[in-house]
Amino acid sequence: MDLNKSISQATQEIFQTMLMMEASPGQAVAERAKGFVDSVSAIVGMAGANKGMLAIHIPEATALVITSSFLMMEVTEVDDDVKDAIGELANMVAGSIKADLTEQGQEFKLSIPSVVCGAEYEIDCLTDSQGVSMPFSIEGGEFLVEFHLQK
Amino acid sequence: MGKKVLIIDDSNTMRKIVTRSLRQAGLDFEAILEAGDGQAALDVLAGETVDIILSDINMPVMDGIEFLRQKQADPKIKDIPVVMITTEAGSEILDEAKSLGAAGSIKKPFTPDQIQETLGSLL
Repeated sequence: MDLNKSISQATQEIFQTMLMMEASPGQAVAERAKGFVDSVSAIVGMAGANKGMLAIHIPEATALVITSSFLMMEVTEVDDDVKDAIGELANMVAGSIKADLTEQGQEFKLSIPSVVCGAEYEIDCLTDSQGVSMPFSIEGGEFLVEFHLQK
Repeated sequence: MGKKVLIIDDSNTMRKIVTRSLRQAGLDFEAILEAGDGQAALDVLAGETVDIILSDINMPVMDGIEFLRQKQADPKIKDIPVVMITTEAGSEILDEAKSLGAAGSIKKPFTPDQIQETLGSLL
């Protein structure tokens, strides 16, 4: 399975279909991002033969743009609506990747999304993992999608 | 008399998107009711009659599969068609939903046309 292609296609399809926005993928890297500033992060755990996680990390200003588009109303502060919208975004991307993995014979169960936000925080939920971290740009900002599996 | 729909999803954002998509699809409901999980949906159905239910699968408190199981066991509501709206397309969990009486499924992300196509034949 081409993980880069799976993440890229899933994210682009969701932005086109649900947000009427174009999300352009950038260069993927293997390293996980850990520290975030003024951001919102949504994490979906994946449990099965392997453990993994799908995370989306979005600067607050971009999260407001995305949530405003989801809800078709202007959202000006990071509140429960923003956390819910970014959590649902991560849920949809994780579901698409899960479908691709299922076709490869790997069954996973998805957790309900967890969302964290704040002025400065770190996320370190898989200590020994491998995967992909892929940046995306949209009109109004950038964000990062990560999919990593425990080694 | 107009028809009623119940949307079950733990995401407030997704309930709003589904509501908007129903209207964009030209499906005119007299009332659109909402519930945040399967148990909350059963509570709604104890006091309301609806014509169709749209349900997520992966939810806290009571997920969509357990909701289907409980609904099938209740003769007052067992015949209401349920369409699963979920990211879980193509997986074993959808097969389980169908075995418990789910009338169809729509994969997230979805378009209003897909909603119309699936619900149109059930209403």
